[in-house]
Amino acid sequence: MTLGAIKKEHLGQLVAAVGAHGGFYGPVLRDNDVCLDQVQPSDTLVLDYANFTLPPKGLFFPRSEVIATHGADGMVETPLPTGKAVLFGVRPCDAMSLTYLDKVFMEAQFADPYYRARRERTLTIALACRDPAATCFCTSVAGSPSGQGGADILAVDIGDALVLESATPAGEAFLAEYRKLLGRPSDNQVKARDAQVAQAVRKVSSIGSDGVTARLQASSESAAWEELAERCLGCGVCTFLCPTCHCFGLYDEEVGPQGRRVRAQDACVFPAFTLEASGHNPRTRQGLRMRHRVMHKFCYTAQSFGDIFCVGCGRCIVNCPANMDIRETLTEVPP
Amino acid sequence: MHDAQTKLRETAKDLLVSAKVDLVLGFQNGSLPLRTRPCFARNAADAGRLVWNRLCTNNLAVYLPRLFEKPANVRGPWTPPKVAVVAKGCDARSIMGLVKEHQVIRENVVIIAMPCQGMISLRKAEAAGASARTSKLDGDDLVAQACLECIQPSVPGANIIIDGPSRSAASDRFQRVKDFEALTAAERWQQFVAQVSKCIRCYACRQACPNCYCKTCFIDQTKPSWAGVGDDPTDLLLFHIGRVFHQAGRCVECDACVRACPVGIDLRLFTQKLVKDVEELFGYVPGTSLEEAPPLSTYRPDDSECFITDP
Repeated sequence: MTLGAIKKEHLGQLVAAVGAHGGFYGPVLRDNDVCLDQVQPSDTLVLDYANFTLPPKGLFFPRSEVIATHGADGMVETPLPTGKAVLFGVRPCDAMSLTYLDKVFMEAQFADPYYRARRERTLTIALACRDPAATCFCTSVAGSPSGQGGADILAVDIGDALVLESATPAGEAFLAEYRKLLGRPSDNQVKARDAQVAQAVRKVSSIGSDGVTARLQASSESAAWEELAERCLGCGVCTFLCPTCHCFGLYDEEVGPQGRRVRAQDACVFPAFTLEASGHNPRTRQGLRMRHRVMHKFCYTAQSFGDIFCVGCGRCIVNCPANMDIRETLTEVPP
Repeated sequence: MHDAQTKLRETAKDLLVSAKVDLVLGFQNGSLPLRTRPCFARNAADAGRLVWNRLCTNNLAVYLPRLFEKPANVRGPWTPPKVAVVAKGCDARSIMGLVKEHQVIRENVVIIAMPCQGMISLRKAEAAGASARTSKLDGDDLVAQACLECIQPSVPGANIIIDGPSRSAASDRFQRVKDFEALTAAERWQQFVAQVSKCIRCYACRQACPNCYCKTCFIDQTKPSWAGVGDDPTDLLLFHIGRVFHQAGRCVECDACVRACPVGIDLRLFTQKLVKDVEELFGYVPGTSLEEAPPLSTYRPDDSECFITDP
């Protein structure tokens, strides 16, 4: 464990220094919205946001990507991304989500070369939450507003400066490499950080989701799913904005005389997701689709990977056009 | 406003207890500040949860087509439900449109006309911050643009009318479209591309729209496939142009697509352009009457063709 500190006004220098060796991705304003993007010289890093509308999964597992083209020369696979990148400012919940995606795309039976290349070239600096939103519930799903899971370095905002702490050897090496910019924090700064960490965790409300896996499992035949789904509009907001939803489809498309193979994110809440070639669809109703999505996150991944694939970021709650609330689903679906 | 809510609860309770309807579609308090959520009230207790305020934004007509569809698991005869809908002007215009398109059985729907003062825009409220939010909930400061430009806050086809203060109709609602039309074709194209490039293809705009009831949307068809699945602007444009064009003569400007979009695409500019064209070229405002035939189902020899020859 190594510590570092940087005054906020010096962050621009860090961006420039890192940017000279690769991409620096961080929280910047785009179209009046704070989002994660490659930081340009004209950008100023924004540090006061609850979270981004879109989760960081898209940087590693894009909404769509061409993985191969085919034409007269046969099939040409898209080369793997290269070069170093630094991802700064993801919230601890989102950093945690990357460890879950790693289990699917890197540690399971078949590794995904594109995901792996992007993950391995990226150093992640998570930024601890000062003011968790009312919809945050990370502490109910194995997270914390200052959790280090999935991050190489955790940065804590103490007002005029950030205090950094390495969580992996790669993070330690980064702090050493940029030691000139990232000095050692004073005792007072460390105390301020500890106080900041302690106050933030108190602001996250608990949703009482203990034993949720067993409870949901017993609820699979409950009529409550159809009642809940009555209000659901059947869009993909919850799925596409979820930092851990990772289903995708592979499609071959014609583009003039050429063809391309596209991998695109898909969503189990859409009827076409389970539509079979015969025309049969095993999940005909929205209740069945909603049940599957919730079960996948809170039961199936717990069984197959040992983790609940929800980080408590609250995006599905904030953005649902029908105000579906996963906190209620988890606590109210009766067995 | 509070009186209207009390009357609404009594009305809904009467309708349900006397079995005049099987279901009252309305609003109840949501789980977040400034949010309500759709309420499917089936008994007196449910009716007691109904609310009416300036946060009742959703267009509840979206739920009607599926309620009038025979469920796949029902064998033999099936009786469609009787449904009362708590309706703003825009919601009722949607219902009128759905009746004309044979998606809703008019006799089975009781339209409860609510007094509408315009609905609060969550985006405006968020931008205003917490302190401004509480003090401005009564005025027009945080009201959605679509409501400020609403030409018919009163409810067409009302079966039951609940009185209360409501806003008056806007006069000129097309200023923004006129500004858009004044741009060069290249500028308009650029604006269009910039907006749809934000799309993540969650289809919330489509799902929230009462008019988007197709069993299979053209964008989901695979034989043939009309658009690629990726983020190529051509494919994103094809979806949005396709969806918006399918709204010609049908869009009632309820703003449901705009509210549902999680990435803030300015869909209203495009639907409103279409509304303006239909109004000016064919003299038709959707959802105002059950009798007038929609422009796409009629033909007159003197129908305007300028949208083909002079785009």
